Amino acid sequence: MNGISYLVLFFPIVLVILFVLEACRSDDPKKIVKRALANLGVLTAVLVLGGAFVYVINRWF
Amino acid sequence: MSLHNSPKGVLLIVGVTSLLVSVFLKKGERIKGAAFLVGWLVPGAGHFLIGQWKKGLFFLLILGATYLFGMWIAGFRPVSFDDNPFYYVGQYGSGMTFLVATLRGDEKAVVRDGIHPSWFDPGLLYVCVVGLLNLVVMLSLLDAKAVSSETAAAPAPPPAPAAGPAPAATPLPEKTA
Repeated sequence: MNGISYLVLFFPIVLVILFVLEACRSDDPKKIVKRALANLGVLTAVLVLGGAFVYVINRWF
Repeated sequence: MSLHNSPKGVLLIVGVTSLLVSVFLKKGERIKGAAFLVGWLVPGAGHFLIGQWKKGLFFLLILGATYLFGMWIAGFRPVSFDDNPFYYVGQYGSGMTFLVATLRGDEKAVVRDGIHPSWFDPGLLYVCVVGLLNLVVMLSLLDAKAVSSETAAAPAPPPAPAAGPAPAATPLPEKTA
């Protein structure tokens, strides 16, 4: 395992948080899974885009 | 008085909050005060108490698994105050994590053998997040509907529309010749 392998831990903890938050506001399991996965996608996109932005800034500026 | 060595203060805060929840709720919903307290002690147990056992089981399993995973990374030692004071206080959100942290709080956590040291901090975060998420689960109890009271207070079905009064049979006047 290398130094950035801890980034793998991002997915389980975010999924747990989103599942719990969605379960608190809804009773429909399908809706809970759908919303949690959709929000995970959004947060992952934000993480990737933010990481790419920082990489570009550090690489060329 | 510092927070990390005052378990009695934490217990007092939880007890008073549960009491206030009971007092300020409506008469039929006062069980939520007890559910609030039980939900702090064991994640999901409050939902068991108000009859939402599926949701309670879900919270218990998901938060329990997260806690065990975080503890596994940290060598089955809870977050100590010296590791990270903020993560340590986060464990106060659940009675189970609070109990373990109080009993073993002075032992400094160490990353498990065979795991990269960079996993250590996320491991502590996992343990802390369980306590914080349990606070959210407890607050959701206030909005939840108790199954038992829900069935008891269910409105009676509307009465079937009554059939209109049958027209009175008026005897026809007899024809007279």
